[in-house]
Amino acid sequence: MATEAAPMDEKAKRMRDLLSSFYAPDPSISTSGSSINASFDNINSTSFDADQYMDLMIKKSNLEVLLQRHVQMAAEIKNLDTDLQMLVYENYNKFISATDTIKRMKSNIFGMEGNMDQLLQKIMSVQSKSDGVNTSLFEKREHIEKLHRTRNLLRKVQFIYDLPARLQKCIKSEAYGDAVRFYTGAMPILKVYGDTSFQDCRRASEEAIEIIIKNLQTKLFSDSESIQARAEAAVLLKQLDVPVDSLKAKLLEKLEQSLDGLQIKPEEASTLVEHDDSSNDTESNDQHPAKIHEDAVRGFSEAIRAYREIFPDSEERLFKLARALTAMHFEHMELYIKKRVSAADFLGIFRIVWEDVVLMDEVLPEAALSDLSAEAAQVTLKQFVARMFSHLQQDISDTLLKFDINQKEAVEGELLKVVLEASQKAVLQGTTNIFQDFRQLLDEKTGIFIKMKDLISGWIQKGSQDFFRSLEAQFLVLSGKTSSSNDIEGKSSDKIHAGLILVLAQLSVFIEQKVIPRVTEEIAASFSGGNSQAFENGPAFIPGELCRVFHAASEKLLQHYIDTRTQKVSVLLRKRFKTPNWVKHKEPREVHMYVDMFLHELEDVGKEVKQVLPQGTFRKHKRTDSNGSNTTTSSRSNTLHNDKMARSNSQRARSQLFETHLAKLFKQKVEIFTKVEFTQESVVTTTVKLCLKSLQEYVRLQTFNRSGFQQIQLDIQFLKAPLKEAVEDEAAIDFLLDEVIVAASERCLDVIPLEPPILDKLIQAKLAKSKEHNHNTVSS
Amino acid sequence: MQGGSSGIGYGLKYQARCISDVKADRDHTSFLTGTLSLKEENEVHLLRLSSGGSELLCEGLFSHPNEIWDLASCPFDQRIFSTVFSTGDSFGAAIWQIPEPYGQSNSSTLECVASLDAHVGKINCVLWCPSGNSDKLVSMDEQNLVLWSLDSSKKSAEVLSKESAGMRHSLSGGAWNPHDVNSVAATSESSIQFWDLRTMKKVNSIERAHVRNVDYNLKREHILVSADDESGIHLWDLRKTNVPVQELPGHTHWTWAVRCNPEYEELILSVGTDSAVNLWFASASSENKTSGSPVEASRQRVNPLLNSYTDYEDSVYGLAWSSREPWIFASLSYDGRVVIESVKPFLPRR
Repeated sequence: MATEAAPMDEKAKRMRDLLSSFYAPDPSISTSGSSINASFDNINSTSFDADQYMDLMIKKSNLEVLLQRHVQMAAEIKNLDTDLQMLVYENYNKFISATDTIKRMKSNIFGMEGNMDQLLQKIMSVQSKSDGVNTSLFEKREHIEKLHRTRNLLRKVQFIYDLPARLQKCIKSEAYGDAVRFYTGAMPILKVYGDTSFQDCRRASEEAIEIIIKNLQTKLFSDSESIQARAEAAVLLKQLDVPVDSLKAKLLEKLEQSLDGLQIKPEEASTLVEHDDSSNDTESNDQHPAKIHEDAVRGFSEAIRAYREIFPDSEERLFKLARALTAMHFEHMELYIKKRVSAADFLGIFRIVWEDVVLMDEVLPEAALSDLSAEAAQVTLKQFVARMFSHLQQDISDTLLKFDINQKEAVEGELLKVVLEASQKAVLQGTTNIFQDFRQLLDEKTGIFIKMKDLISGWIQKGSQDFFRSLEAQFLVLSGKTSSSNDIEGKSSDKIHAGLILVLAQLSVFIEQKVIPRVTEEIAASFSGGNSQAFENGPAFIPGELCRVFHAASEKLLQHYIDTRTQKVSVLLRKRFKTPNWVKHKEPREVHMYVDMFLHELEDVGKEVKQVLPQGTFRKHKRTDSNGSNTTTSSRSNTLHNDKMARSNSQRARSQLFETHLAKLFKQKVEIFTKVEFTQESVVTTTVKLCLKSLQEYVRLQTFNRSGFQQIQLDIQFLKAPLKEAVEDEAAIDFLLDEVIVAASERCLDVIPLEPPILDKLIQAKLAKSKEHNHNTVSS
Repeated sequence: MQGGSSGIGYGLKYQARCISDVKADRDHTSFLTGTLSLKEENEVHLLRLSSGGSELLCEGLFSHPNEIWDLASCPFDQRIFSTVFSTGDSFGAAIWQIPEPYGQSNSSTLECVASLDAHVGKINCVLWCPSGNSDKLVSMDEQNLVLWSLDSSKKSAEVLSKESAGMRHSLSGGAWNPHDVNSVAATSESSIQFWDLRTMKKVNSIERAHVRNVDYNLKREHILVSADDESGIHLWDLRKTNVPVQELPGHTHWTWAVRCNPEYEELILSVGTDSAVNLWFASASSENKTSGSPVEASRQRVNPLLNSYTDYEDSVYGLAWSSREPWIFASLSYDGRVVIESVKPFLPRR
């Protein structure tokens, strides 16, 4: 069955191809568009298999559908047959008409050959006639050509003979362009025949040309000529083969010379700006420097423009010149800002310079001037910011050192207070001003400033950070806490007044609490940008760190103040204990005078502290500012004192070493070395504590006889009242004073304390004496 | 009373100021200490740290005729030591020998080897030559510096040379340079003076007022540590003495004594009248100090205070490192309490 199907299949396929090529416009679609599911249904596809299709139909459909399908198919086949018949018929028709056409063409060709022969004959005769005309005119034409050539030659000769005169004429009328054209035209002839026939002529014209060259050169260098003219002159000169390089060099030199005139000298800069400010209302005045400068720069840029046009091939030198000018400008500006300059002045100068740069940049865009100047401007601006801060620092330290604290009145008067207030003002005002100035910088609209806004705020942040850091360092140096690197200052640190240290300490607190938050606000408000871009390693301004630094500094300085103060007392005590032979001490007659000195020192501390530091919250009652409610408490505490004093006195009268030890055991828990606070009371208390501790240590180093011990006892007893008056921590003072007594008794060979009545008597005598002394000093 | 302290305590009967490491005792970590009591009978205690390091035992208790202001153990004979003592109105110095066998009988008497009786004023200290077995001694009073030669077998001490420092310089103490046996540093009222023992001349000085104590760094030549009353601790390079190499804040009150660790060159101990012992880490050597401004250097520096031992009731005057176990030190407060502490947790990693 398969072998039977194959030929039939082939035949059917050819039929299908034929039909499909007829019906489908594109045969490729019908052949290639066969898909598997279509192959069965689609009769038009090439891979259609009639048997398979039949099988499928029989399997799929019932009889009715098959019958329908049969009818439909028969109709389709009939249609196709008629179509095919039509096709064959039409083709036959066309063939017949083609045969007719060919027949007609054959008949038309006859008779063409005769016409062609006639045409050939006619053309031949035309040719022979034209040859005849040509030969007859040849001679004449030859003659005319010869004449024409001679005439041209003659004209040339005439031109050369006329050349000198013509050149002279040109010189007179300054038509150098024509002259040069003439001369260069004649040049080849003059070169060839110049030595023979046209000798005179050549000499004359060369002379004329020399004059022309000279004239051209002068024209080139004269500033009065227009640039156009000068450029032309240069071009002509070049055509005349005059060496241009030397000219170029000369011109450049001239330009360089004019550079000097353009410098903004630092000393003139201020006048430049001043006039700039005042010029607005006094326009009628003769030209102010800023205007002159602007004109000069404009002239310079014009000259450069001209030069460029004249010598378009040598721009390098010009670039160099322009760069030199910009560099010079910025250098001078740096010099200028070494002095104190306000932001407005700085901006004034900067604007002028920037205008110059813009002018130059217009002329020489390739010189990359804007890049160069942008860099230079960055450097200058950065320096300016840094300098502003250093000036501020200088101001602050000047304010601090302006007052001669070493005067006697320092302690008496309000000088420390004045210094503190002045320096606080200086810091606060200074920072406010500086930030105002910086805001001006940011508000500036000159091209480069806008671009550098971020950078500027970055610098300002970094600048303020550095400023505060170095300020702190300077405070420490000023206080003598850290000796600066050079020895001279280190030695002078002895003379630093303690009051100054105290002022510095309080100033540090002020900066920590007031100034830094304010600066932080300022920065956050105006200069917050530029952090992330400019500084990869975190923000530049870290208020937290600065606060820490100043906090530490203030504590250090306060400690240093106390140290210097106690040092003084310590020296006093050292002298007191080193000098006498305590083992052979005589009976005490009066309170020793070192007590007075000690108290005097304390008084000084109190006075200084009162001027600078705030009062503490636990305010002890002071007699000076007593009011009703306070008196009761004070009297109560006084009675308490007296009680305690009396008791300890009576105790001590019977005291033995053992008892004092026992007393000590109970009092042990008193904290001697507590943290210092920024209050008047705390500082005084700490000072007193340290001094008493020193006293104790000095006592421990000595050995006393009975009288020596009694002397100590007397001195301490006398100290008790005034110290308690000055100090808030009475318990600690009590403890320390007792410690001194204990130490003295331990170091005493023969402990017999003075009887309280005698003690009292001696103290009263001392009090009376000092009162009298005071009275005397007041009255005198 | 102990308050969480790791220290081992030992109580003397009376007040005391001085404690010394017994350097010649190579088998035990021992310390000598003497009491300072004007009226009672004074004692010298020989203390020994038990082998476990947990107990401080009294190996010997000897009575000493006078109150002891200074005590130094002989570097080559563990039985010999020197004291400076006071009778109340006069001072004396003597070399003592601990009788053999010590330890059995309590309160045995000390043998006096020699009396250093060339002084008149207040004697400050006796220094043993640090070079091991040299028999040289230096004693100092407020005006004079005396070099002795000790012959312990003959029980005699000879004055080799004596030089007056002058009335104006009242000497207060000193230290013998372990790197140069001919050099002794002496502290005076206004300066630290350096004496050459061959010529007995002052060769150099550091102008610094009220220096209370000095100590040489055993491991780093040219480094001297000084303690002032007020301005704390200073490290000096002896080659350039105008500016200290480093400053340490010291104590709240006076810094009484400083000692460099014999083994770990960066460790410095100080004791003060604020009843504390401070352990410092002084890393800066003279070489790297020069780089950068002092301000910058001080910023970079970490806190040099490693630890503060504050478990004392009174001012601490006595301080000694153990040379045998260099991480152990003994401190002595005025109330007679000896405290042994170990600095092992703070030792620098090597």
